[in-house]
Amino acid sequence: MINVLATNITSPLGFTTEQNYQAVLSGSSALKRYEGLWGPAEPFAASLFSEEQRTALTIEGYTFFEALAIRSIREALTHTHLDLASERIVLILSTTKGNIEALGEERYYPSKAAQRIAEAIGLTTKPIVVCNACVSGLSAQLLANHLLSANVYDYAIAVGAEVQSKFIVSGFQSLKAVSEEPCRPFDIERNGLNPGEAAATIVFARNADGERWCLMDGATCNDAYHNVSPSPQGEGLTNAINAVLAGQDKSRLATVCVHGTATLYNDQMESKAIERANLSDIPLSALKGYYGHTMGAAGVLETILTMRATDDGIILPSKGFTEPGVSGKVSISGEPKKTDKRAFLKLMSGFGGCNVAAMYEKTKDYRQRTTGKAKLVKAHTIKLSSEDGQTLTDIYKQQIGDYPKFYKMDLLTRLAFVATEKVLSNFPLKGEDKKPALILFNHSSSIVADRQFFDTICDAENYFPSPSVFVYTLPNITTGEVAIRHHLCGETSFYILPDKDEALMQQILEASLAGTDTPTAISGWVDAESETCYECELTLYNIINI
Amino acid sequence: MEQLINDLKLQIKEALNLEELSLEEFDENAPLFGDEGIGLDSIDVLEIIVLLEKNYGIRLANPKDGRAIFQSVKTIAEYVQANRKK
Repeated sequence: MINVLATNITSPLGFTTEQNYQAVLSGSSALKRYEGLWGPAEPFAASLFSEEQRTALTIEGYTFFEALAIRSIREALTHTHLDLASERIVLILSTTKGNIEALGEERYYPSKAAQRIAEAIGLTTKPIVVCNACVSGLSAQLLANHLLSANVYDYAIAVGAEVQSKFIVSGFQSLKAVSEEPCRPFDIERNGLNPGEAAATIVFARNADGERWCLMDGATCNDAYHNVSPSPQGEGLTNAINAVLAGQDKSRLATVCVHGTATLYNDQMESKAIERANLSDIPLSALKGYYGHTMGAAGVLETILTMRATDDGIILPSKGFTEPGVSGKVSISGEPKKTDKRAFLKLMSGFGGCNVAAMYEKTKDYRQRTTGKAKLVKAHTIKLSSEDGQTLTDIYKQQIGDYPKFYKMDLLTRLAFVATEKVLSNFPLKGEDKKPALILFNHSSSIVADRQFFDTICDAENYFPSPSVFVYTLPNITTGEVAIRHHLCGETSFYILPDKDEALMQQILEASLAGTDTPTAISGWVDAESETCYECELTLYNIINI
Repeated sequence: MEQLINDLKLQIKEALNLEELSLEEFDENAPLFGDEGIGLDSIDVLEIIVLLEKNYGIRLANPKDGRAIFQSVKTIAEYVQANRKK
């Protein structure tokens, strides 16, 4: 459990949390239809900054993505008095594609962008990038909770940011997931999501005085079902909600702020999970009708808005919703509602099969979570590299051979897949060990798949964005593939660091597993820069919670 | 028609990285989905849609329309024959 010190939302609807809240309260939406933007992409509705706004937010020497994150953090920090140079503050950046427009340059690397942002703010510690596709914004907050609760840091700045581009839009269009009209979460007429751009920041503290919003607890559970289609019964999301609400009084919840992307499958799945978790009577709020899907920013932005509205005694209306179009029993409305409750649940689900639930409460009854410590015992380690003289395909053919899906995977996923096979061939998971955590780290994100996908969209005369390649441009798809192969239904996370900092990786792993009932974890470094330059070191750990 | 079926088999095998499926084994009447047949999934369908646009100029906006078309290589070939623009 950690405290919220300050927040900011910087979006096309305003540059502060208050401006955004007032805009949403008055029913504003930044969603507009765009045609002919970014070359051959088909028409789409999106929430994008205007030229005027872009100019106002630009900071010379930084990309727009970096500037957006810096602006959001700086504004949030004006409400605090932190010693930014302290080694007890960490920056956690949540994004799906960061500086993707700089592919081919040094600043493409997400950790590079994070370092530039951290330095601009005046931080001196190494930033951590969370790349868990759509759930990243909640994952970043959960990581803040882990690291602060484990006393690794006193403060965490969780910033989510996304700038839209031809790369992202053409990818989601190739998946037939984008709507030309403003999106309609949970509605019978819904036909897809709208890309959105924004940055949002929450400054968390380990200890703070007074009555504040607190992140009480969170959980991440993988579907281990499919990398793009969610489990039809909402298996992972139901597990995540149940884990967070275990022992909690559900009647304290004012609302459940859903993911609600307005794709057919996501909203249907969420409705199932909500019904299965016995939350059918709690009013939902789906906020993508105001901002579209702001991807890496969404989990942070929607959490902040829900805090602000709950402070005001209001459950925000789900803009775009009129008639129910899901089969799970849910309470959702296009009209605002009053509430006197002080807690809510936030849900996110995304590609790679990951689902996150987190509970927030406004309280002055603040108790430091006593998580205990996780002791990690190495059971087995596997190292693979491009120097080995044996290709991954050779290893697959000689030692694995029973999973033709291997040939569909990108290089990064093949690397993690082969390494996991080798780790688990020596130490197979037992039945009761089926909820191990899978926590991977790298530096080069999904650069190989990013280059491959870029090749399918860069030539206007030969513009055929490949859906199967695009999927792998989210590095956490790697964790999803391994989860499917081994039916891993526990936490799956993908973090990007400036370098292979084993001490930091160990801290993140220990903090993430402390106080959980996770019996084992597979974790390590999985980095693929090219066919001739890759490196992987994966370890199977047994976990003893003390 | 036979030529078209063979072309499609090759294109599908390549686009979907069906490495272990030999063209000889690739039965044009076998169902493309489900455990009984080739075992394709929803992303594979989207990739076949791209392939049809790229090679035959056929635009299929809504993947839901594809259910009848994508039963087997044979049904895809018949659809391509009737609708191809190149």
